[in-house]
Amino acid sequence: MDFFELTTDPIDITGVARRVVPPECGATVTLDGYVRKFTKGRETLHLFYEAYEPMALKEMQKLIDQAKRDFEISNVGIVHRLGKLEIGETSVVISVASPHRRAAFAACEWLIKELKRTVPIWKKEVYADGEVWVEGESEPPVVTRCNAEL
Amino acid sequence: MKVNILFFGATADLIGSRRVETTVKESVSARDLIDQLHADYPILKDRTLLFAVNEEYVPENTPLNNGDELAIFTPVSGG
Repeated sequence: MDFFELTTDPIDITGVARRVVPPECGATVTLDGYVRKFTKGRETLHLFYEAYEPMALKEMQKLIDQAKRDFEISNVGIVHRLGKLEIGETSVVISVASPHRRAAFAACEWLIKELKRTVPIWKKEVYADGEVWVEGESEPPVVTRCNAEL
Repeated sequence: MKVNILFFGATADLIGSRRVETTVKESVSARDLIDQLHADYPILKDRTLLFAVNEEYVPENTPLNNGDELAIFTPVSGG
């Protein structure tokens, strides 16, 4: 079965991977994304994640639906953590089960790339000398660009 | 008619609020309301902002209806 969740609790990575496995599959690719200590040379103390939760869940569902149309995969599980995360803690897990590994690797890569572009979740980097909300690095959905000139 | 405006992350910090209820005239579009927000909150100027109406990304000429929820936020950074 597919699933997508937001949680403030630590994520059980193996549990996510196991939940997506159906009998017809032969490979599960799991991404474990976790908190990095250094970003562009600056030391992070911890991260804080916030989401527009109902919309984030809808967007996660859309990503899964699209991935299942575009790749030969069986099941997808996505769990994203919210709240305060310490260095090394897992922030996101994406598991993709498929009959053969290639499609699972490709779908997992596509899913994390799209999640970072479209799902309304934001991270705040907290440093020893300040904090900053990170703004997306990749091109956001085109229809939503908004640079109003007054 | 009334529209609820939601702010998240950086925009919530900039505005100093997470939710504002505003009264607008009929036939206002998302774009119209965002222009109004830029006028009311100059601190948003020069920011790249995304928006959603009722939890969906929509074109900016989407007309708003009474009770709609317009969310304003900076490019997302999950993962």
